[in-house]
Amino acid sequence: MLKLAFKLLGYDKQKTLFTVLALAAVISVILILEGFEQGQYTQLEQVVLNRNADLIAAQSGVENFIATRSVIPQLSRIDVEAVEGVKQAHPITALPIIYKKDNLRTPVYIIVYDSSGGPSELLEGRAFQYGSNIVIDKSLSEKYGLKIDDEFVVNEFKFTISGITNESAFMMPFAFINYDGMIDLFLESDIAPDLSTFPLLSFLLVELKPNADKQQVIRMLEASVPSVDVHTAEEIAKNDIVLGRTFFEPIMGVLVSVGYVIGLLVVGLIMYSDISASRKSYAVLKAIGFPIKKLFRMVVLQSSLLILMAIPIGTLLALISAMSIEMSEPIYLIEIVNTTVYYQTLGACLAFALVSGLFPLVIIYRSDPMLAFQMS
Amino acid sequence: MFKWTFKSLFSQKATLFASSFGVASAFILVIFFSSVWQGEAEQIIAYPNKMEPDIWVMQKGVENLHMSMSFVWDWKAKLIEDMPEVKRVTPILYLNSVIVAKEKKLFGFVVGLLDKDDRAGPWELTQGRGIEGENEIVVPDVFRELASLELGDTIQLADRSFNIVAFSKGTYSSANPVFFVRLIDLEKLLSSFGTFSYLLVDSNEGVDNDRLVEKIKQKVSKVNALTHQAFVANDFALAKQMGVEIIFTMTLICSILAVLIIAYSSFALVSVQTGEIAILKALGVRSPLVFMSVIIQSLFMTMLAFLVASLFSLWVLPLIPELVPQITVRPTTSLLVSVGAIAFIVAALGAIFPAYKVLSIDPALVYKN
Repeated sequence: MLKLAFKLLGYDKQKTLFTVLALAAVISVILILEGFEQGQYTQLEQVVLNRNADLIAAQSGVENFIATRSVIPQLSRIDVEAVEGVKQAHPITALPIIYKKDNLRTPVYIIVYDSSGGPSELLEGRAFQYGSNIVIDKSLSEKYGLKIDDEFVVNEFKFTISGITNESAFMMPFAFINYDGMIDLFLESDIAPDLSTFPLLSFLLVELKPNADKQQVIRMLEASVPSVDVHTAEEIAKNDIVLGRTFFEPIMGVLVSVGYVIGLLVVGLIMYSDISASRKSYAVLKAIGFPIKKLFRMVVLQSSLLILMAIPIGTLLALISAMSIEMSEPIYLIEIVNTTVYYQTLGACLAFALVSGLFPLVIIYRSDPMLAFQMS
Repeated sequence: MFKWTFKSLFSQKATLFASSFGVASAFILVIFFSSVWQGEAEQIIAYPNKMEPDIWVMQKGVENLHMSMSFVWDWKAKLIEDMPEVKRVTPILYLNSVIVAKEKKLFGFVVGLLDKDDRAGPWELTQGRGIEGENEIVVPDVFRELASLELGDTIQLADRSFNIVAFSKGTYSSANPVFFVRLIDLEKLLSSFGTFSYLLVDSNEGVDNDRLVEKIKQKVSKVNALTHQAFVANDFALAKQMGVEIIFTMTLICSILAVLIIAYSSFALVSVQTGEIAILKALGVRSPLVFMSVIIQSLFMTMLAFLVASLFSLWVLPLIPELVPQITVRPTTSLLVSVGAIAFIVAALGAIFPAYKVLSIDPALVYKN
């Protein structure tokens, strides 16, 4: 039966090629949609994990890193470092700003860091040399045509770009400055009564001594520094993904569902028109005694073969599209080869093949074996 | 010839309707994505739009409300209020953070309001009362549905708990749900006193607001002032700009998909009708005419798809928020017009290969069995 299915597909090679291409396009659209959503979660996760902290101390009650306001007392750093098992606590502050140039606006998440937690993937330049240096994400550099040593104006304070990094999440590019830069920004802006008005310390990236027990240190930290809650970086990353899901899932869920509907329609259409065109061949098979069950199995086999041929091409198309999206819009990460999601999608596509086999069943059922003896 | 074009098209009804629905789904994908973005962008400006002061005053260098951080000394509010052109100044404290209720988390915006002053507060309550006491919060009614909340339930904002005293209407969007608390409670949460985030300035009747904006910027140091229209336009532009690239990419991908579906369907039709086309050619019908008929068939399928997608957008898309309340969908006429234009391109591109096949059909095929 497999041989027959192959022969039927090979009968009109041009048409089979078109069919496989159309199916591959459907598969690639679904993979891109899924990859876009998955990429958002990976970026959210990486932004936390790339800070290279064993533990993260946040304002009491705060369990997220991205898009959250955490303010912890400056003196808590000393208290945290005094706890047994803690090697060092690196301060970090997050500032959301809107960057504007040439009538274009982009929300940017500025990470202020001191001894650790800076840019993790420098593509060009260096982290910083002076307080007025800034490292920006490559999406900002490309969108606004910014290069090393160019000015980057934040609230009328001029930073100089010293490096280009590759870090963005939640559809926001990241930028990195050090504490000197932040204090200059606040002081020169002269916008509030005193520096304490501003969020000077959002998180502490806790570095543990070798062999320190994470859970024990967490317990000791929370007992001795009540102003902070302490989590592992993995926990915070997980919480950020959960937060991301509440934002992306409703929209992406509908989009992916529509993608699957298209897939079902297209595979169904292809199988229907294919079987419709080869109605006579099926009549011949019926005339020589092929039972309906076997014919149905052959249709499913045929559509499964088409899907199987389309999968590698669809994956390749999705990978090429993802690469071109990431090159033109580096703020997005399209994660096509996420094992779980990838196999889920392919599983769903194979399910199409089964369901779409039902579409032309009626033609096979109705095709008269007498048709086999008619002149074409 | 025209009659044959449609007769042959309708002889393959299943192909016609299935391909049209396939292409319609690709168009719906684009329309849905763009409509959600439009809806979110409109909802992002819902709060400043409803407040509608004459002028917004904020930290120098800041021009937006959405995703911004602004600090303005409290005495600057008094300075502006003392100007003869100014009727009233309403300060707000503004914070974007993660809001937690019954294990449900979302990214939200919290507005701190002066005691017993509802000028900058929620404009419509579906249940409950205004904020009267300490640690009270007004929550968007959509969030009530999502997290199964009731009046008196607790909302967690960092380390502080707030009691829900009311649910407000029109204050929810996926990117920008707005919560209201007392300004003093928010100050405590931020450990920040003596500053506001934004000032809502209402001017006296007959005052030229553009001039007042200039006067505020001149007389009050380190602040930015914008008319309400300019301020809202900035937020709307920001929201729209954030989506431009991804909407373009989605449109491109879905259009390619639509082209392939149309190409496949036209090709399938041509394959089925090879014999008939050979007869037509043998009877002397010129190739350009047959070529045109393939283009018309492709155009018809695409236009049918566009019609289905448009009807879906007008009738079904507005119902989606009933099922998924956190999504705001706003299909616009201009969006449908642009998808219509794309449909023409799709039809033309999709017909190229099948049309080429038509040209290559040999009339001698008629004599083959």
